[in-house]
Amino acid sequence: MTATAVREPTRTPTRRSPGNVLAGTGTLIRFILRRDRIKLPAWLLGISLLLFQLATAVSGLTETEEGREDLARFMEGEVSAIMGPGYGRDSISAEVYVAGVYGLFFFVLAALMSMQLVSRHTRVDEQNGRAELVRSTVVGRYAQLTAVLIVAVAANVLLGLMVGGTMTANGFDGGDGLLFGASVGAVGLVFAGITALTVQVTEYARTATGIAGAALGGAWAVRAVGDMIDDYGSPLSWFSPLAWSNQTRSYVDGRWWPLLLSIGLAAAATAAGYALSNRRDVGAGLVASRAGAPVAASWLRSPLAAAFRLQRASLIGWTAALAVFAFMFGAVADQLTDPDGMSENRIDMFGGSVDTLVDGYLGVITLFTAALAGIMAIQGVQAVRQEETKGRAEPVLATATSRWTWLGSYLTVIAIGLVGLLLVAGFASGIGAAASVGDSSYVWEMTSAHLAQVPGVLVLLGTAALLFGVLPRAIGLAWAVVGGSLFVGMFGTLMDIPGWLRNIMPTEYTGQPPLDSIAWQAMVILLVIAAGLAAAGLAAFRRRDLETK
Amino acid sequence: MTAAIATSGLVKTFGSTRALDRLDLTVDTGEVHGFLGPNGAGKSTTIRVLLGLLRADSGRVEVLGGDPWHDAVAMHRRMAYVPGDVELWPNLTGGEAIDLLGRLRGGLNKARRAELIERLDLDPTKKGRTYSKGNRQKVAIVAALASDAELLLLDEPTAGLDPLMEVVFQDVINQVKAQGRTVLLSSHILAQVEELADKVSIIRHGEIVQSGTLAEMRHLTRTTIEADTSRPVTGLELMPGVHDLEAADGRVRFAVDGDHLNDAVQALSHFDIRSMTSHPPTLEELMLRHYGEELAAAGNGNGEER
Repeated sequence: MTATAVREPTRTPTRRSPGNVLAGTGTLIRFILRRDRIKLPAWLLGISLLLFQLATAVSGLTETEEGREDLARFMEGEVSAIMGPGYGRDSISAEVYVAGVYGLFFFVLAALMSMQLVSRHTRVDEQNGRAELVRSTVVGRYAQLTAVLIVAVAANVLLGLMVGGTMTANGFDGGDGLLFGASVGAVGLVFAGITALTVQVTEYARTATGIAGAALGGAWAVRAVGDMIDDYGSPLSWFSPLAWSNQTRSYVDGRWWPLLLSIGLAAAATAAGYALSNRRDVGAGLVASRAGAPVAASWLRSPLAAAFRLQRASLIGWTAALAVFAFMFGAVADQLTDPDGMSENRIDMFGGSVDTLVDGYLGVITLFTAALAGIMAIQGVQAVRQEETKGRAEPVLATATSRWTWLGSYLTVIAIGLVGLLLVAGFASGIGAAASVGDSSYVWEMTSAHLAQVPGVLVLLGTAALLFGVLPRAIGLAWAVVGGSLFVGMFGTLMDIPGWLRNIMPTEYTGQPPLDSIAWQAMVILLVIAAGLAAAGLAAFRRRDLETK
Repeated sequence: MTAAIATSGLVKTFGSTRALDRLDLTVDTGEVHGFLGPNGAGKSTTIRVLLGLLRADSGRVEVLGGDPWHDAVAMHRRMAYVPGDVELWPNLTGGEAIDLLGRLRGGLNKARRAELIERLDLDPTKKGRTYSKGNRQKVAIVAALASDAELLLLDEPTAGLDPLMEVVFQDVINQVKAQGRTVLLSSHILAQVEELADKVSIIRHGEIVQSGTLAEMRHLTRTTIEADTSRPVTGLELMPGVHDLEAADGRVRFAVDGDHLNDAVQALSHFDIRSMTSHPPTLEELMLRHYGEELAAAGNGNGEER
């Protein structure tokens, strides 16, 4: 071996200061605030205003003993576990009700705000190639993620303070207001952390927020089931980050420590996000997007098949989700077999007779599921509208596909999807009800009850189709009808809904089987109306210009 | 020869905007027809009316002997279309989109599909959302050209393609032309139209301002002459049809109207020509004649059509 006199090149010790990977964070924070100068304040103010409205309304309702009883029934029993564990139901007050029942809405809103904020400034930017442009400047590897997380933390702290302030402004206790605000902000932090993790995994922002959204749905389901098992929550509840915010028991006997769990999970998810972000390239995901089929399946050869292919994922998702909900609702039906201690109002809500309470409850649940199916129908038509405005309908309509066939195929797929959805959901709720009450006839009764709602939902679909043909820009008006049906179904007994408003809701005419018998005549009339609306929409679409980019 | 496309007095308004203003366009069967005009001149609107996607307010449209608004489906079996701005379904692969569009038209030629994918270097297994603009364009081109359609409506088909693919595209269009199919090719890329088109129509503010073969159109316009002469050129600027004459150090440069080319060259020969180049008007110059003021105002004329 020859000894060489070549000296090792003297390297300047490259001790990387941690500042390098964070270079530019401050500028990026200002940049995020500049880009979101409308969106973020709109979220914060919107949430606070909604809370103020609700708190004022609830305060009005709790002025009388009767009103308090009305509210209390929403916090009783297993059904109320959908909203929360029910702390303070024994001595109900406006603030207890707002925090305990409506709290869920604010948890979900804080989560949605944080998920969108984080994904908008990480994966959406990467997907559109903007992140690359930013990273090519003097910006550290972790700067973008750090900047948006700092903004997210600040936004959630501010949200917590605003929620606390709003509650205090309504005349509720200040300390508990702060605790409730912190509970809301904590959910936001958790989902900011979870989104910081999911955006590392997939290449597409929609998939990333989809996974985070699924985590939110899962957290809700775990908490709801956990809270149904036992009063004030069971050990299962504690596996859900939403439960931690409920378990602060604000306005009952407030405690702060459950929020430590929230902060711990947020920190752990964020740390995992940082670790993963280090292991991938800019723009890439950890999970590479898979290659697909080089040729189309042989069945994909008609407008109907194309419509089915493009709506398939949404149909399957909706059907699976509603089947789970329907099963859960059905499975708690036995709680209504015993009318002891049930308030008069609650009996009224479920049909007015102690003998048919279970059927009454199941009827309300069926109507609720039908209204949710209406949301799917309108979303389906909005997806068709997107095909048009995004320019994907144009090349299809330039083939030998007529306007009638194109729109008609979508409407057919959505209509059949609705029947399938209500069939599956009805069967699932029937199984749940039959198992809990111990009467197998509910399987058939609930299935047919759900199918009896099909014509009403088809009228919603027809309304959306008519708007698509005549006033495509105003397709959102269909939401008013579905929102109205949902509202009337949920709160019809609680509030005085004017008769005319009830009368224009298609779901009003099919009755509430299994409590009521199936209204065959109304079903036929509704089917005719639905067909007429759809035909008018198709005819109008045939006559108007295609909207192009 | 019969006309594949014939419109007369076509008017289409969007609110207060008059997108098409008495447009007369004739495309004969079997020709490649260049359709030129700047952004917002009405090219895409014309093509969408020809497809029956938009209904003309007034005027007559005939495509392949039928009315595209009323007989859209029957017409579309014989037509293929490449949009100017291709959007694909995010969760369908390029290959699936090609097959779907082809089958909805009534079938596509599998061998030609494979050949086009190979030549255009397209990966058909990628999902729609992952394609770049150029690749989305390729998907639409394959879907349209793998069909046996007699009439191809191509709205700036090569926007976003690289120069190599541009050459492939020209070759493919020449094949289509050899098969006797008709092509309406809207474009900004003048060289491409010059290469491919038998006839050209220039659209401006929703009306056709000039239409004809390139030879006819060149005849109507000026040829530029540059020459070195032994003796200084004098008096040429006084001749009819001679424009923009510059003379210095024995070199002369001028433009001459097609009608007066012969006279000008004869006059020039008296000054003992040592060398001479002439070039016919390019399409740029044809366009500039019609759009000079707008191009000057806009600063450039190569933006994308929206």
